[in-house]
Amino acid sequence: MEKDTVISHYIIDSQEDEIKRISNELHEGVGQTLYSVFTGLEYLEGSMQEPAMKSYTAEIREQLSKTIQEIRLLSLELHPPSLASSGITAALKSYLKLYTSTYGIITELTSAGNERRLLEKQNIMLYRVCQEALGNIAKYADANLVHMKLNWEAEKVIIEIKDFGKGFDIHTGLAKRSGLAAMCERMELIGGTCLITSAIGNGTLITLSLPY
Amino acid sequence: MENQMILQMLHDLLVDVPCEFGAIAIQIPKGSDVKWKHAAGNLNDKYKRITLRYGKGIAGRVISTGTPIHLDRFPDNIIGRDLEYPIMLAEKLISAYAVPILLNGSAKGVLLVGRRVKKPFQLHEQKAVRDYTTKLEKVVFSHD
Repeated sequence: MEKDTVISHYIIDSQEDEIKRISNELHEGVGQTLYSVFTGLEYLEGSMQEPAMKSYTAEIREQLSKTIQEIRLLSLELHPPSLASSGITAALKSYLKLYTSTYGIITELTSAGNERRLLEKQNIMLYRVCQEALGNIAKYADANLVHMKLNWEAEKVIIEIKDFGKGFDIHTGLAKRSGLAAMCERMELIGGTCLITSAIGNGTLITLSLPY
Repeated sequence: MENQMILQMLHDLLVDVPCEFGAIAIQIPKGSDVKWKHAAGNLNDKYKRITLRYGKGIAGRVISTGTPIHLDRFPDNIIGRDLEYPIMLAEKLISAYAVPILLNGSAKGVLLVGRRVKKPFQLHEQKAVRDYTTKLEKVVFSHD
């Protein structure tokens, strides 16, 4: 392995470890503590007699509930727990649901073949590349619909992300957006490939391929 | 009937301010998620599927802080990442001004106006938008 590749692996691994730690801390630490405060407030509210105080407490409880929900979503975006327990398909399905409710872009996910268990590093890299692709769609594609297709073949998994947006010129796009190059580099680091096809007016297709 | 009235008010707002996009997000029924319920000058229907993230983006921050927010040249000078501003991305807005819509003194909704060019909202335009929320408060929560 070349020195640059070893360094890239090290940097990405360190970042992912830190992201996972923060995600767990948000979910299990801060989130759980806030939930304890929430149940305490519910108890206090139930024992209050004065309507004004009761209403004020209810208002604080509602704000706290929304904060807990946002922390849960933030933790999920950073590192979904389902990635390790249920695999990439389940994690992407969960993320797409959040993606639609965040950006209003309709998503459809299909999976064909028998899902194989991937290494944790492969799972997280695929997930990050898909997140980057979906983020680019929300920012630049002007698309209302995204199709994501997972094909579990005998020797590799292929993920296709197709948007039906305005498309772009590949050469200018690759020069301007470092995110596209980073997607391809991430795939290469786990032994996979990333192919981006786009034409102005015809949307964009991103094909990720990863041998087992 | 109320929906038509609100939509008409939004169209009037676009002419009066003036601006290209106007939308209202509200929490109905009480305790549920905050969603964009009405829009005028929209490019697509993405707003209908967007649920506001508490404390995130222009509208989420208006709800959590209860104070107006002005973005003059999105995505420059924003708090957080541009991806945290879905309505700005969905409607290709560059300048926007958002104010809380109050119910019993608490921010339970947002009125947002936007432009697709870099043209910040002047103080008198911001005041005009705030004045509209006073009218809207009476209508948007009337069927809650």
